[in-house]
Amino acid sequence: MRNKFSWGRLINGLLLGILAFACLYPFLNVLAYSVSGYNAVLSGRVTFFPIDFNVDAYKQILGKTQIWMAMRSTVIVTLAGTALSLFLTILAAFALSRKDLPGKSFFTAVILFTMYFSGGMIPTFLVVKNVGLFDSLPALFVPQAINVFNFIVMRTFFKNIPESLEEAARIDGASYMKVLIKMILPLSVPIIATIGLFYAVGYWNTYFDALLYIQKPELYTLQLRLRSLLFGEELNNSNANAEGIGTQVMTQSLKMATVAISTIPILVIYPWLQKYFVKGVMIGSVKG
Amino acid sequence: MKNSVGAVPKAPLGIRVKKTAIKIWNYKWVYLMLVPVLAYYIVFKYIPMYGITIAFKNYNVFKGITASPWVGFDVFEKIFKSKNFWNAIRNTLVLNFTTLLVSFPLTIIVSLMLNEVRSSKFKRVTQSVLYLPHFVSWVVVAGIANNLFLSTGTINRIITGFGGETIPFMSSNGWWIFTYVVCNVWKEIGWGTIIYLAALTGVDESLYEAAYLDGATKFQRLIYITLPSIKSVIVTMLILQISKMMSIGLDAPLLIGNKKVLEVSEVISTYTYRIGIERAKYSDSTAIGLFQSVINIIILFAADKFAKSIGEDGII
Repeated sequence: MRNKFSWGRLINGLLLGILAFACLYPFLNVLAYSVSGYNAVLSGRVTFFPIDFNVDAYKQILGKTQIWMAMRSTVIVTLAGTALSLFLTILAAFALSRKDLPGKSFFTAVILFTMYFSGGMIPTFLVVKNVGLFDSLPALFVPQAINVFNFIVMRTFFKNIPESLEEAARIDGASYMKVLIKMILPLSVPIIATIGLFYAVGYWNTYFDALLYIQKPELYTLQLRLRSLLFGEELNNSNANAEGIGTQVMTQSLKMATVAISTIPILVIYPWLQKYFVKGVMIGSVKG
Repeated sequence: MKNSVGAVPKAPLGIRVKKTAIKIWNYKWVYLMLVPVLAYYIVFKYIPMYGITIAFKNYNVFKGITASPWVGFDVFEKIFKSKNFWNAIRNTLVLNFTTLLVSFPLTIIVSLMLNEVRSSKFKRVTQSVLYLPHFVSWVVVAGIANNLFLSTGTINRIITGFGGETIPFMSSNGWWIFTYVVCNVWKEIGWGTIIYLAALTGVDESLYEAAYLDGATKFQRLIYITLPSIKSVIVTMLILQISKMMSIGLDAPLLIGNKKVLEVSEVISTYTYRIGIERAKYSDSTAIGLFQSVINIIILFAADKFAKSIGEDGII
C-alpha cells in the first residue's frame, strides 16, 4: 500500500509544490528586481528571472552611509537584546522551575498575568520616557526583554531535567548558582539556542518599537530605514525627510535590493533556526 | 480538619515558620536571581498598569500622572461618541474575522496534505519553504506586497498582459482587505501547520490499517479517523483564535495600509497609535487601550469557560 502509484498522491504533491512555490515566489521576485537593469524594471518586464543582470543597485545601496548606520543599530539591538533577554529568561526559568521554592506560584503569577493584561501603548511609552531610554537603542530591547512564551518554554525544559542530577550536585555542596552554570546550562544548549534565535529574529525584525522610540536618524534601525526607503513619500515623520533620503526617488531595483539585504541575515541563520523551532513551539504549546 | 483519621499531625506553627525560613535561606541565591527579573516586570509591566489611571484623568504632561486632575469617565464618553473609534473596532473585527475564515480551514487542509506526503525529503523541503515567511519582518512583507500588488506591480502586469483590467489591490477598500488577508495567510500558513502536524503524528497507525483492511477509502479514513483524532486540537485552536478577535498586530495594517484605504485599514492598535503618539492625546489613547484590554479579558474568560464546558482543555 505504501509505494503504489496513485493519482491522489500525485495531485497532492503537485498542489503542495504550487503552494511552496507561492511562498517562495515573492522572494524570487524581489531578487529578480534587485539585479535587473534599469530599463527592464521601468518597463515592467521582470517577473521571474533577472533581465540585464547587474549588481548596481547593491553597489549603490551599500555605498550609502545611512544603510551602514542602520545596520549598526540593528546589529547592536539584536546582539545586546538577545543577550539580555536570554540572561533574564534563564534566571526566571531556572528560579521558577525549583519545585519547592517558597512563593514560586506568586512570582509565576506575576509573570503570567502580563500575558493577559498590560498597561498599553501610552503608559509604557511614558515609563520608557521617564526612565530615560527614549531615543536610545536600549529602548528597543530593555522594555520587552522577557517574552512570556519563551519563559514558559525554557521553564518546561528545565523542569524536565532529572532532579536526581541536581540533588547529587547539591549534596556535594554546590550552590544554586553553581548548579545553574555548571550543570543546567550545559544540558540546555539546544533550548538556549532555539530561544536565542527566536529573540534574535524578533529584534532584527522589530519595527513598531523603533517607530515609537527612535527619533534621531542616526539611530534608525534597518527596518525603520527600509520603511522610509520603501514608502518615503508616505512617511509623514518629518525627520525621515529632513536628511533628504525620504524624498529622493528610489528605483524599484534599489528598493528591492534593500529588502534583500535586510532579509539575507534571516535566511543565513534559517537552517539553524529551523532545526530547533518546531520542538520549541511544541514545548510551548504544552502548558506548564 | 482537626484529628481527622490518617492525617499526619501538623507541626506547631513556630516550627513550620522556622522550617520555611530555613528553606528561604537555602534558596537565597535563587531569590537573588529573581531580583532583576522582578525589577524588569515592576518597571516595564506593572508601573505602566498604574499609568492606566490617565484614562480617567485629564492628563497634563507638565503635571505628570499623579497630579493630573481626575475626570471620571469623561474620556470614555468622548471616545464612545467618536465615529472613528467604532470604525476602528469594526475594521479590527472584519480583518481578524476574514483572515480567520480563510487561514483556519486552509491551515488544516495544508497540514492534512503534508501528512499524506510519503517522501520525507519532499516533505522536509516543502515544510522549510512554507515556514520561511513567518520569519520575515512586516516591513519586508509590505515591500514585497507593493512590488506585487500595486497597479504597476507584477501581478497587475500579468493580468493586463493577458488583456485583463488593472485591479486596485492596494487602493480600493474591498481589494485591500483581500490583499491584507493574502499577506497574512502567506506569512503564517506554514507556521500554523506545525501544531496540527504534531497532532497528526500522534494518530494511531493501527486504526488506519484496520480501516484499510475493512475496505475504507482514503477519503473515508480521513473523515472517520484522521479528523476525529485531531478534533480537540482543532477546537482548541479555533477557540484560541476567536478569543483574540479584538487584538490585532499593529505592523501589518500600518505597513500594508495607506491613506487611500484608511477607512478599512485603521484598526484599534493603529488608532491608539495615531491618537496617542501622533496627536499626543495620551488620555484618549490609554482609554481605548484599556477598553480593548477589558474586552479581551472578557472574551478570553468566556472562551475558556466554553472550551471547558464542551470537554476540552481550558485555554488560560
